[in-house]
Amino acid sequence: MKRRAFLAGAGVGVAALAGCSARRTADDPTTEATTDSGTDTATNTDTPAGTTTTADSGGTLVVATYSPFVDAPSTSPGSWLKREFESAFDATLVYQTPENEINYYIERRNAGVDIEADVYVGLNPDTLVRLDENLEGDALFAGAGDVEAGTVKESLSFDPEGRAVPYDTGYISLVYDSTAGSEFEAPATFDGLLEPAYEGDLLAQNPASSATGRAFLLHTIDAKGEDGYLDYWSALQDNGVRVLGKWSDAYAAYSNGEAPMVVSYSTDQVFASRANEDLAQHQIRFLDDQGYANPEGMAAFADSDQPELARQFMSFVLRPEIQGGIAVRNVAFPATTDAQVPEDYAQYAQEPPEAVTFTYDQLKGNLSGWIEDWERQFASK
Amino acid sequence: MLVAVFYYPVATVFVEAAVVDDRLTLAPVVAVLADPFFTGWVAGLITDPVGFLAALADPGALWDLLAATATGRVGIIGFTAYQAALSTVLSVAIGLPAAWILARFEFRGRRTLRSLTVLPFVLPSIMVAIGFVAMFGANGPLNRALVALGLGRVDLLFTLEAILLAHAFYNAPLVARITAAAWEGVDASMVETARSLGASPTWAFLHVVAPQLLPAIAAGATLTFLFTFASFPIVLALGGFELATVEVFVFSQVQNLEYTGAAALAAVETLLSLGITFAYIRYERRERGSRGARPQPRRPLLPAEWTPGAVLTRLAVAGYAAVAVVLFVGPLASMVLASVTGPDGFTLANYAFLVERQATGAAFRVKPLTAIRNSLVFAAGALALAVPMGVTVAVLTGKRARGGSLVGALAMAPFAVSGIVVGLGLLRGLVFGVEVAGWRITATGALAVVVAHAVGAYPFVTRTVGPALSGIDRRLVESARSLGASRARALVDVELPIAWPGVVAGAAFVVAISVGEFDATVILASGTDSYTMPVAVQRYIGRRLGPATAMGVVLLVVTSLSFLVIERFGGFVREI
Repeated sequence: MKRRAFLAGAGVGVAALAGCSARRTADDPTTEATTDSGTDTATNTDTPAGTTTTADSGGTLVVATYSPFVDAPSTSPGSWLKREFESAFDATLVYQTPENEINYYIERRNAGVDIEADVYVGLNPDTLVRLDENLEGDALFAGAGDVEAGTVKESLSFDPEGRAVPYDTGYISLVYDSTAGSEFEAPATFDGLLEPAYEGDLLAQNPASSATGRAFLLHTIDAKGEDGYLDYWSALQDNGVRVLGKWSDAYAAYSNGEAPMVVSYSTDQVFASRANEDLAQHQIRFLDDQGYANPEGMAAFADSDQPELARQFMSFVLRPEIQGGIAVRNVAFPATTDAQVPEDYAQYAQEPPEAVTFTYDQLKGNLSGWIEDWERQFASK
Repeated sequence: MLVAVFYYPVATVFVEAAVVDDRLTLAPVVAVLADPFFTGWVAGLITDPVGFLAALADPGALWDLLAATATGRVGIIGFTAYQAALSTVLSVAIGLPAAWILARFEFRGRRTLRSLTVLPFVLPSIMVAIGFVAMFGANGPLNRALVALGLGRVDLLFTLEAILLAHAFYNAPLVARITAAAWEGVDASMVETARSLGASPTWAFLHVVAPQLLPAIAAGATLTFLFTFASFPIVLALGGFELATVEVFVFSQVQNLEYTGAAALAAVETLLSLGITFAYIRYERRERGSRGARPQPRRPLLPAEWTPGAVLTRLAVAGYAAVAVVLFVGPLASMVLASVTGPDGFTLANYAFLVERQATGAAFRVKPLTAIRNSLVFAAGALALAVPMGVTVAVLTGKRARGGSLVGALAMAPFAVSGIVVGLGLLRGLVFGVEVAGWRITATGALAVVVAHAVGAYPFVTRTVGPALSGIDRRLVESARSLGASRARALVDVELPIAWPGVVAGAAFVVAISVGEFDATVILASGTDSYTMPVAVQRYIGRRLGPATAMGVVLLVVTSLSFLVIERFGGFVREI
């Protein structure tokens, strides 16, 4: 029966799996114990971030966000914001960037597992709708309370329940290459995109896996109505629109000259000028003179053990100089009326003549159906 | 181990499809099957079998149905299977000549080339997409060459053909590697016996060599089908949403937190994949071969004498090499080129970015060297776990084991279950943990990543070692046993040396899977510093492709070196 010897060999793996942690589910966090034989305890936390930083007198604020906010290859506000906050307050700021972003915390709450984060940075109207439609049991976020949000632009506020406070916004537009085929001019309207002259000229993205793709779909629903957008897309599909996966897929194809127009952000020239690219190849077009606004908000977790510090942080983010700093580093637009933005920034970061966006109430109960109907029509075999 | 990091986590997701409002039900799965969007005409068969069959009495209707089936117009699931079948055919067609060249010719750099065959496997899909767009795009080298030759352009991108080629890019090397390993195990004396009895070389190949290669080809084809059936990011990047596969919709529903629908769809997907696996394993167990320790001698690439036959053979080799250069080297070279090109031409700025990020990045940012170190450590760990596991499962499910087909198919499940479902399961089962008697047990960080990689990779070892083991003449093992060797001793001293090319090929795949793995790694490593090279590539993707492609080149170089080490080490072990 020497076959057992091999099974025993595989059994070593089971022992190794014990590189895990066991934690009392009663609230005393000091009774943490590891069940394995001497692995590095720093890797054994069941939290998504290296929250092992030493807490100082003012306490530790755990800020959950999406990873490009702290770690983009170009610029990201994360490090700067942490430095500014820590020098203004007697506190330590720690980032958590789980891969599944907000879904991670929804899952965690639904599984009944405690959440260490105090603030979430990076909520959209659509994520908020998804959250409210799917959360079982208690609330994930608390009301903003005494956050000093008086200067936030009225048009950007998207949470009727007062939890999420906007801190910046982007506008989704077309980016086009005016040098394509010697000379190219993007159409001015949604209807223009259907003209034969623009056949096969537009790259867009899957609304389920890309924020720009979702915004563009919502923009067509706003422009053509709930009853008209599917017909519009059918015509767009006939005219050869390409819907790729992520924004990076589409932008890579655009950069390679596969098509002269791509759905992207109206801040494209900021990047282009920083990288010394030809601005003629990075023209912005607001269809129907509109840009779809995609405001980003922050909210305090309901279970935060630092509720006061969390609100101090949120007020801090809305300060005029911090608003300007975040906008420039996140390559977006500030959410407040008194933000201090460098003058040369506005030269390349274009704002649409008119901003459109669906409100929370308009999206609630509709969003997933709109997307699913579109998916079923577009991918129908 | 399998239960802890695979079956239990996956079960936490599939239960959503089977239990609704605390009651066991088949309704969600039936809902998927009865939805013509997903299953085409099959839905009609399920919702109204009588009416469906009655309608088929009309020959026109039957003809339409057959035509729809033959062109993949059977809902999303039918289309997914259709593109997977075409991808498999293409991958086998491109992989077999490579296996022939690698197994039957001797030339400088042959072993290096063989080591590098698995390289495409580790590439993140975004890298392949960038390489393909650059190589086959409207302004790429292929079209420029075609125009220069006066042949006109091909619009390859955003078509089914582009997806199939990308799938062949990933999987043809897999077919080549597994088949070459089997070819090298063909006993030369059998071929010589056939030849001495007057058989022509063609007859000897068809009746002696080919039957011994078929199990390996079938293994490669099965794996290719499983991978391409579950394909997702590459489909959207190179094809577009019109060509969406099942996995695209599983993702969309999970993203939308519609778990019941996602789990039901994934369950149908998994059942189909497991069915294919089961059929293959039944076949593999029936196959008999004979395998000895003495492989056939290789031919030199440049023949001693230029006979017409030799010229023809070499022309075929050269023609194949040209295709391989366009399909495999083209996209890889395009990627390297992209990493050293900026708006003003040649630049090293992207590599400077990596150095700068390493030197000055804050602790919570992804750094290149940490990623390289982690990738290598995880690959070594996965190797240490997955090779013994894979060999054990191959022995346990071998043709002499009872019920081996079913166990074998279940053991292959890590390849058959949607990666999105596995990721969600790992999050629920390991990251959030299980509550037992007032304690919450969780598993994250480096060890969990290694175990997840090993579980995702060991079926490769099983599939490369299995055909080799089943081909061994049983009398060899029996004589060893009768001479007093234990079963384990016989395995190590008699069977493994004969199956050794399969073990080395399996080991290379384990490293490839471990280095290339993304979904489980990001979930289990989240927030710790256990991120790997593909995670770094993903993190460095921005508006400009430079930094990500530079990291992609680093990934390529590091992986190539580790493959060379494995191959040399494998050869070394065999010789002693």
